[in-house]
Parts: sequence; structure tokens; C-alpha cells
Amino acid sequence: MKRLALIALTVGTGLMLAQPTPAAAQSSAPPGGAYKIVSSLVALPDFVPGLGTLYVDPATLPAGPFLAYDHQGKLVSSIYMIPLKDMNAHKAFSDLKVAHERVDHVDMLYNAGHPGVAEPHYHMILWYVSPQRASQLAK
Amino acid sequence: MQSRRHFLKAGGMVLAGFELLPNGLFRLPSAVEVIEMRSDSGGAHVWFDPIGLYVEPGTTVRWIARENVHTATAYHPRNNHHSLRIPERAVPWDSGFLVHPGDHFEVTLTVPGVYDYFCAPHEAAGMIGRIVVGRSEGPGAQPFDYWVGRAGTDGWLQVPDAARKNFPNIARILAERRVHPPRG
Repeated sequence: MKRLALIALTVGTGLMLAQPTPAAAQSSAPPGGAYKIVSSLVALPDFVPGLGTLYVDPATLPAGPFLAYDHQGKLVSSIYMIPLKDMNAHKAFSDLKVAHERVDHVDMLYNAGHPGVAEPHYHMILWYVSPQRASQLAK
Repeated sequence: MQSRRHFLKAGGMVLAGFELLPNGLFRLPSAVEVIEMRSDSGGAHVWFDPIGLYVEPGTTVRWIARENVHTATAYHPRNNHHSLRIPERAVPWDSGFLVHPGDHFEVTLTVPGVYDYFCAPHEAAGMIGRIVVGRSEGPGAQPFDYWVGRAGTDGWLQVPDAARKNFPNIARILAERRVHPPRG
């Protein structure tokens, strides 16, 4: 009986190691699941200066989250894109997904629009890296 | 009107302006006016520079993306039901998205009149431009709502408020030839 339990534990542990948790899967690009690289959905470069390489589940547009990765493929932020007209209309955005990472700091930045969210909106960015590392995403 | 779309880096654009003739010689380019498509680094502020331009009929206008992602799109019902703000006889254009710095698009404007255009992802933020070709006439010289109530305009879109307030005055364009935006 003990032997069977040991085998089950070993197999189970192996499966857990072989299949990363959703959080672990999102820590490196590509995040998998329903997430698609944004440049395959709309006319944006693969790497967006200032933000990184973006992935999003199209079902969550426009709010997101958009998962952003640096040049090394490491998750650096989750971004929510909230149109001004929705804010002015007092629209609620509830139960937005988050990445299971420690948030270093938050930016809320106005954006005039871009393909995919072609209207003025705010980028609400939960950064998982320091401001210094975030600034390295400029190019 | 003819349009050409290029995705060449800046270094390749000089050659792009020449036309290769059947005899193997190059014809010198006709006049080309450049309009830059700009943005600050965060994408918060976007603009065409110059925002107002006067050209003679037959002039080629080239839009070049410097930062961010932009389009140069004529105000015309064929462009997603936007209202008509170019001469009736002119052919509308839409550059599509110019994604990378240096991507460019050009149109040769032959029909006299006022041509209003916009950037598709940034129209709501007020990124528009105006070109006067030869003289001030046509729908682009009319008030923004000139078409309201007229037959055949069902579904036309109003010019957004943020765009309306940014159009340079036609008289100023005629006087100065190149009108730069306050930020540009």
C-alpha cells in the first residue's frame, strides 16, 4: 500500500512539474491559453516601445488584461485599457483577471488610441518590475 | 489621382521617388510634399506635421510615419461612412496602417479643392489634416454639418469634436502654405 502511495505521489508530482500552473505559464512568453499576440490581431508591431510584446485574450477586449513581456520573454506588466467614453459613462469593469505576480508599481497613462482601441483611453499598468527596468522597454 | 504605398526605410525613399522609364532611364520626380505622422513616446499626443498644406494640382503628397501607428485616410463615405470632405471628383484614399517608423504612403492630388483627412486610430483624439489643392472649393470648404438632412447621406459619420477644433483655417493655409500644429 505504501508502495502504491509512493508511486502515485511520484507520478502526481511529475505531472505537476510537467504542466506549469496558469500563473507560471504566464510568467514567460507566450502565455498560452486563449491569449494571442496582439500583433496577430491588429496592426501593431510585435514589440510596442514602452510596453513590450503584448498578448491578450480577444474575449476581454478592450479592457484586457494585456500581458506585456520584455525582449527576453519575461512578464513585466499587466495592462488594462479603459476608454475615456466608458469612464465618462461611469461604466464598471469588474473581475478583471490578474497575473499572479508581485506588483512593483502602477502607472496610469493617457493614450490617444491605437489599432484595437482606436479611441482615447487610459493604460492602467501593473508593473512587476522596477521603474528602471520598465524604462528599458523604450526600444 | 494615383496612390502608392511603400514600406521602405528612410534610406530607400530617394529611389522610390524616381520613375523607371521603359528605355531604362529615370524620370525626375514631380513635386513631392512630405507630411510627417508624429507621436510623443507614450502615445498620448499625436499629430500630422504640417497639419495644413497648400499645393498646386498634380502635386504628390507623401505621409511618413515617424512614431506610433497611423493612417492617412480621406474623409469620404467609402472610408467607413465618414462624411465627404474632399472634392466630389477626387478618388478617396486610405493608406492602411503604417506600423513601422519610415513606412510611408503617397497620393497625387489632381482635382482642385480642399481635402480633409484623418488618422483612423487617432481621429477621436483629433489627429486630422487639411490640404488645399489650387483653390478653396468643394465639400471640404463647407461647414462640417453641410450634408445633414441631404438625400444619400444616411449613415454618414459626424466629424468628432476633437477633430473639428483642430482643422486649420483655409485662409491661413492659403496665406502660409504650410501650417504647423502648435505641438509640431
